[in-house]
Formats: sequence, C-alpha cells, structure tokens
Amino acid sequence: MSVDGTRILVVDDERGIREGCRKVLASEGYDVASAEDGVAGLELFEKSRDFAAVLVDLKMPRMGGIELIERIRQEDEDIVLIVITAYATIRTAVEATKRGADGYIPKPFTPDELLVAVNTSLKKRAVSIEARRLREERERRLLELAFERSKSKTIINCMTDGVLVVNRDRQLVLRNAAAGLRIPECVALCLPSPLDALECAPLKELLVAALEAGSRPAIVSKEIAFGKSVHMVNASPVVEPNGETLGAVAVLRDITSLKKLETAKSMFVSMVAHELKSPLGAIEGYLNVILGGFVKEDSEKAREMMQRALARARALRTMVSELMNLTAMETGNFIVKRSPLEVGDIVAEAVESCREKAAAKNIELALHSTDGVEEILADRDAMLSVFTNLIDNAIKYTPEKGHINVDVGSNGLYVNVAVCDDGIGMTDEETEKAFEEFFRARNQYTARVAGTGLGLSLAKRFIEMHQGRITVRSRPGKGSTFTVSLPALGDDGEESERGTNVT
Amino acid sequence: MARETPVIMLVDDDIDFLEMNRHVLESRGYRTVCATDPCEALATMGTEKPSLVITDLMMQALDSGFSFSKQIKQDRRFANVPVIIVTSVSSRRGFDFTPRTPEELDAICADAFFDKPVPFEVLLAKIEELLMGCTQEDDT
Repeated sequence: MSVDGTRILVVDDERGIREGCRKVLASEGYDVASAEDGVAGLELFEKSRDFAAVLVDLKMPRMGGIELIERIRQEDEDIVLIVITAYATIRTAVEATKRGADGYIPKPFTPDELLVAVNTSLKKRAVSIEARRLREERERRLLELAFERSKSKTIINCMTDGVLVVNRDRQLVLRNAAAGLRIPECVALCLPSPLDALECAPLKELLVAALEAGSRPAIVSKEIAFGKSVHMVNASPVVEPNGETLGAVAVLRDITSLKKLETAKSMFVSMVAHELKSPLGAIEGYLNVILGGFVKEDSEKAREMMQRALARARALRTMVSELMNLTAMETGNFIVKRSPLEVGDIVAEAVESCREKAAAKNIELALHSTDGVEEILADRDAMLSVFTNLIDNAIKYTPEKGHINVDVGSNGLYVNVAVCDDGIGMTDEETEKAFEEFFRARNQYTARVAGTGLGLSLAKRFIEMHQGRITVRSRPGKGSTFTVSLPALGDDGEESERGTNVT
Repeated sequence: MARETPVIMLVDDDIDFLEMNRHVLESRGYRTVCATDPCEALATMGTEKPSLVITDLMMQALDSGFSFSKQIKQDRRFANVPVIIVTSVSSRRGFDFTPRTPEELDAICADAFFDKPVPFEVLLAKIEELLMGCTQEDDT
C-alpha cells in the first residue's frame, strides 16, 4: 500500500506528541496536519475532509477526544480513528471504541508502535472501502438487471402485436396485454400454464410446430380468426446459441383491416370483370346474330344491330379509360394541372358539347350564368369532364321534351354549378349510392340507357381532389339536381383562406 | 292437336340481350314477350301465358333471377312453364351459382342454366327440348 500523500490529522494538546507523531509519520510518506484541541481538530477535519486517519488524544481542553471521535465518525464512516492517551485504561478504551474509534495506542509509545497501529488501521480501512465498493457495485448491477427485465417486460406489454411464449415443456410462460385482448381465456391463466389451457386449436398447433422445428430456423405462419378479427400469427422457436430449443414464441398481428381491403379490392376486380363482360357479350351476341344468318347481312335490321354493337363498344372504351383514370388517381399517378379557370366558360363548353344529344331528345338545355363569378384554381380537363358528365347524365335520365337547367353562381367563397333536370329522378336509396363505383339505378327506364356506373364516382373524386364538394338532391319522377361547389380564388390569386377552411 | 305458336318470355335488364334474343327466336317462328325486370314480367305473364321463360340472373339484385324463377314455379298458373336462367355473374364475382346436378338445378327452380352469351344454337336446342318435354307431360 502506497502511503504517499495520505493525509493524517494529529489532535493532541501536547506539542511534543504532535511534533513527534508528525516527524515519524512524515518519514513514512504521510502528509500530516495537527491541531491542539478537539475544536481546532474538528475545524481542520471539516475544512479539508480528505484525512484517511485521525490520531486523537482523549484529554484535551475545549473538546475532549471522545466527543471529537463521535463527531468525526458521524461525518465519515471510513476514516480511521486512533486514540492516543496516557490514561490507558480498559474502561476508556472500551468507551472510545463504542464511540467509533478503530484502535488504541497507550502513551508513551515508540515510533514503531505508532507506525504499526496507523498502517494496520489504514489497511483495514482500504479493505473495507473496497468491500463496500464491490457490494455497492453488485447491488447496482442487480438493480440494473431488474430494471432491464422490467423494461423488456414493459416493452413487450406495450406492443400492439400479441406475444405468447411457451417453454419446451409446452407451458405458456409469457403473454402480453395485446395477446390477452385477442385471447381472453389466457388473461385469467396463472403462468406457467399448460398450453392446452388455450382453446384456439390452430394457435396451439402453430406453437407446437415451432417447438418441433427445433434448431432449424423456421417461422410458421397462419391466418387465425379471433372473434371478429383476423390475425396473422407467426411462430418461431426460441433457440439458444448452442442450438438448444428453449421454447417458442408466437406474434399475433391484427390484419382485419388489410383483409377488408383485400376483399374490397377483389370485389372491385370482379365487378370490373362483370361490367366488361356485359357489353362484350352484347357485342358478341349481335355479331353472332348477323354471322349466324339470323338476319340478312345487308338488311336495315343488321345495320341497326351493328349500330347497337358499336354503341356498346364505345361505352366499353369510355369505361376502360375511366377505369384507368380511377386507377391513376388511386395510385397517385394522376397529374392535376391547376390553373386559374373561368368556371362559366368551362360549363358553357360542356353545355355546347351536349347540345346535339339534348336536341335529339327534344330536351331544352339552358345555361344561366351570373356575372362576376370568381375564378377557380383547377385542372381544365378534369373540370370539363365533370360538367360534361353531369349534363350528359341529365340528358340520359330525362325523357323526351324534358328540361335541363345549368346554373353557375358564387357566394364569394365558393363557386357553385348546379345541373337540374326534370327527369326520372332517383329513390333515396339510389341517391345514397349514386357516387359509388359501378352503381347504376336499375329500372325499366335505365335498362335502355347505356352507362358505365363510373362517371359520377370519377366526378366526385375529381371534385374532392380540388377541395370541392358534389351533392345530389333527387325525387323519383320529379328529377335530380347535382351541385358542385369549388373554392373560389381570392383577389391575390390564392384560394380564399376562409374558403379552404370551410368543409 | 294443332300446335299454337309458342310464346317465349324474355327477361333481362340489358336491352341488347332482349333485342338479339327476340330477333333470333322470332326468326325461328317463336313469338316473344320482353320485360326488363321480374315485376313487369310477372304482370305480363298472366295475359301472355308464355310456354317458356328465359331470364337474366342479376337484375336489381345479384340473384333477382332466382327469386323470379321461384315465384314462377310457386304460381299454380305457371308451375309447368320451363325457366332458363342465363347469367354473366357465374363465378366472376366470387359467387359460383352454376348448378352442377339436376338436384341443384331443381333447387334454383330452373330447368336450364347458361353462362352469357349463350350460343344461339345451344339456346334454341334447349328451348326445343324443354318445350317438347312440356307437351309430353301435358299428354300423359
């Protein structure tokens, strides 16, 4: 043990003792300070607090040795306290030890006796400090370990995926909160519990399969239904680095919404297939009638049939391009080129393009446009297709000699376009579904109208893409009014702030 | 027994299918009555007394044709009228309605079931066969 610089305080009222001790200890390499009574000693101790040992005389003025020992011991449990006194009696020694002294040197003493007493006590002190450090270190490690464990446990419990762990004896040893939500019977189980306590057979099979997969790295997966939700359950063996299988862990992920999406998607695909098949069947049928010789090829009837087939082919083509638009919008590949537009001009263009069709059915098609309607920031092609579609629909579902009014106006925040007809109208049920893909009102009248059932759903998407709204009011036999509202452009060329916030 | 011209009821919400079938059947000497929905068809059947009904399956509802054929078979006036169901639904929407055995055919109250478009020769042969069966039944 190196003593270099180890500080020792000598407190004695006899100057000779103080000096003697200082000389002896300094020669060994100790750094020695001294005080002539208890008060001065305590002052020095409190000032520097780096003494490894204090040699204390018992009989001193102002503050005696016993009191000093007591005071210092309260402050520092490691410091070595050695009593030096001429009144070396068993009674005082016991008393001093009780108050916290480590050793005892009777006066008079030789330099060697002093050094042995000091060195031995300091060694003991070093050992006990080291022991305490080790003890504290161990306690800290244990605390950290416990904390780590509880942290892992908390993390596992907070996972949104359900987690179940079985040991190799097929006992359930861990289940997190999410697993409890999905498999209510496992919440009440005391762990460990036999795997058979679980009711869900596919889950048990999966865990057993993972256990039996052993050291071969394997994930076994299965879709399992828990109540109304569907879960993808992945199970894998828990394998130690030495290849020993400790158990198996299953992770349960809720894929209900994904399944719903999948179903909706395949419903959509089969709907598209059906909608494609009908016009193709009609075209094929007409061709078969003509080619099969059921009608004379050059007759008026054959011509009529070819016209019908052509109309169906055109409708089919429209539907395919509408489908492509729809897909482009869903995948975000639809490019919207926004520019300031005069809505009145676009609507007028749409009305003009529909004039001929309206005239063919003797329908009165009128456009009313208020002056000073604000511009909108929108994609010209998209807007033209929306308004043309609305007017075209109105013509389709209005019998001969009907009326269609197209109104363009604004309330400062929104530009409104209303297409109002006195046609066949829709029931409440039909109105509700009017904007759904492939929805078409089915009745005697609509049976004679060609349509894809995509036009309105596309229009709605276009309008919503422009932060607008499309609504419909309709009564069977009275007619329908479709209203489009689009945010008006403010004076500064920005969409009016209030306008964009109103939804 | 003098045979009257048989009347065939055509029910489909696709006017083109009505049109082409009407034309083909009339070219073979049948008389046809068309309707675009089962209600209209049932109303007409009372007066027209068709010898056979050809109906689409998916009209207002996915399976309108089934309830229609059931209504026909449960009506004492039409119980013996053969019903042919044609459809473009088939297995395309995840629903496979195609009956595979005579029992299944019976269960949907149909005498024949075809996927659209039906080759006209096949349809005509089936009509012939079903009408023949009817006359024989009537004779016995």
